[in-house]
Amino acid sequence: MIIERILIFLLFIIGFAAIVAMPNIIKKIFGLNLMNAAVVLLFILEGSRIGDQAPILGDGVKHIVDPIPQALMLTAIVIGVCVSALALALAVRLYKATGSLDINVITKRLESEH
Amino acid sequence: MSIETLSLAPIYLPLLGAALILVCKSFFPTKIRRLAEYMGTILGLGLPPVIVLFLYPTLQQQGSIDLVIGSYAPSIGINFSFDGLSILMILLAACVTIPTWIYSRKVGPAHSNFTALVLIQNAAISAISMTSDLFNLFVCLEVMGVVAYVLIASSQKGNAVHASFSYLMFSSSAMVFFLLGVFGLYRLTGSLSYDGITQGLAGLGPSEQKTALFSLVLLVVPILLRVAVMPLSLWLIDAHSKAPHAVSALLSGVLLKIPLFALIRVLHLTPLASGMGLPISWAGTITALVAVLSALAQSDAKKLLAYHSISQIGYVVSAWGLALHTGLETQAGALLLAASLFHAFSHALFKALLFLSIGTTTDCSGNRDVYTLRGANHRLRQEGEVLPLTMLCYFIAALSITALPPFNGFFSKTLLTYSLKGGWQYAILSVAGAGTVASFMKLSRIFLPSKQPFEPIVKESLPRFPFTLHLGLSILAALCVLTGIFAPNLIFFIGTLLGGAYALDYGNQFFFSASNLLKTLYTLFGGIALFALAVSKPGSKVLYRLKAMKSSFSDLFLGFAAAIAALLLMLLQH
Repeated sequence: MIIERILIFLLFIIGFAAIVAMPNIIKKIFGLNLMNAAVVLLFILEGSRIGDQAPILGDGVKHIVDPIPQALMLTAIVIGVCVSALALALAVRLYKATGSLDINVITKRLESEH
Repeated sequence: MSIETLSLAPIYLPLLGAALILVCKSFFPTKIRRLAEYMGTILGLGLPPVIVLFLYPTLQQQGSIDLVIGSYAPSIGINFSFDGLSILMILLAACVTIPTWIYSRKVGPAHSNFTALVLIQNAAISAISMTSDLFNLFVCLEVMGVVAYVLIASSQKGNAVHASFSYLMFSSSAMVFFLLGVFGLYRLTGSLSYDGITQGLAGLGPSEQKTALFSLVLLVVPILLRVAVMPLSLWLIDAHSKAPHAVSALLSGVLLKIPLFALIRVLHLTPLASGMGLPISWAGTITALVAVLSALAQSDAKKLLAYHSISQIGYVVSAWGLALHTGLETQAGALLLAASLFHAFSHALFKALLFLSIGTTTDCSGNRDVYTLRGANHRLRQEGEVLPLTMLCYFIAALSITALPPFNGFFSKTLLTYSLKGGWQYAILSVAGAGTVASFMKLSRIFLPSKQPFEPIVKESLPRFPFTLHLGLSILAALCVLTGIFAPNLIFFIGTLLGGAYALDYGNQFFFSASNLLKTLYTLFGGIALFALAVSKPGSKVLYRLKAMKSSFSDLFLGFAAAIAALLLMLLQH
């Protein structure tokens, strides 16, 4: 359990670092996705503490995992997809407007427009 | 139809309206499309406030209407609870959204997509105001956020897209931290509904309490980011000043306040959270002062207004935090909360009016620089405005924000500072009040007559001043005046809606007492003095320095980390 936690933490940190430090906006969006994925995994891991079978009740199914985190994460994944799609659409717009994907260059070019 | 189903109407009616508009837009010819747009708007924007007021008598009898979606057991299902706070939030959203939508009809962004987005936004706002489930709050906040990103980017200009992108990255990564906070509380209590969390948190050991506290901080900071309390407010400037005017009005008027009042319920969960009130109140007070000084330094008219949004939200947060600290059950706490709500309400009205009127003016003059733009009313007339309504509306809003009687800003600011009396917040907010006067004197100079001759600007084909534009502005201006005249009744109404055991009876004698009027006079003179200082040589040098400070993308996250660390340190010391 502890190894999984460390790995999830690393995934989260990598994502956060990408958002803060990477100048490329596409990589920033990747970072956001990584962070989201880390939290999703954390919830799922937590839910699997009490069982190891999928929560679809039928004959002989015992020791199911906690179904609530799974239901929540389904929603969280959907929201994550929406946000990434929108972010990528905005990235395309920014590229069309300025011809660059580097956030610093974009900021500079947009400022000089005025 | 049962009363429970009816109380959900403010959520599903706007969604229904939005669906109607989008379906008709995709499959039907223009005529039906336009009809559907009006039908959807009446359904989604017009009906909810009526229904909410219709439910008011029931609320008076039973306090709140609780229900579980899909009639599951409360421990599994999504809990909703409709109470006085929900009514206030829904009314606030309606009061700003309806006039803004009318304003946008002819001057843009007049697209059926815009109407549909506004409706979805209002559904999200209603849901936020009613939900008592932590994960549901996350979903609704994200829906509101996504709509806001799209609305900001809808002007298609590179600058607006850039502002929208930074806001998206910043706010969405903060929401991941919010999800972590949800995780922490779920792990500790095994529940997501507010009631379940309260029960679960009651019997925790000391080490678990620390985890709970950390989770609560992770919940609070992303919400304060949406509210734009310093140091989390850097995203707001670009987002609000680059968006289309109608969108700026919605963002400043409605979207800043809703998360703040949703937070009341979350922090009411546990006595652990009451320690958070005081630091938040400090942050709000400092925000009010720093933002108003930055506003004084701006040259772009809409940027100046955006800084004022931060400053005024600082006032609201300052009283809100102190209310949480003193406890909402006490008389002082109830007064503080009512004052902060009332100021949020009047700020929503006059800031929307300011954004719309200044937006119209700067569009007509083709100039947004407050240092070079002069004779703005002449420009407006040149563009075809017969009555000087835009200027009149601007001055009503400006007098409201500078807290002069008889407009609503005077009443709300007086009540707010009165409720803070005795603390050092009072002194700082008084200075910020003078700063507000000074910066609006600066902004009002654009209406001074100009000596330079005007070159006519290229005429566009569409009429510059359609009836809807003036109607939208006039409704907001009328609301500013009416909420001022009926302020005592309104405060009483807010008091009863908050379920207060204490009647908030502040009549006109209270507001027009000698000390209050004297204070207004002092603020006015202080503002004039500050303005004189700001236009003097050393003053303008300092302001120029302040304006030259630039914030980069990573500064946003630095502020975020600082806010989490500061709040955590303060709480752990207790």
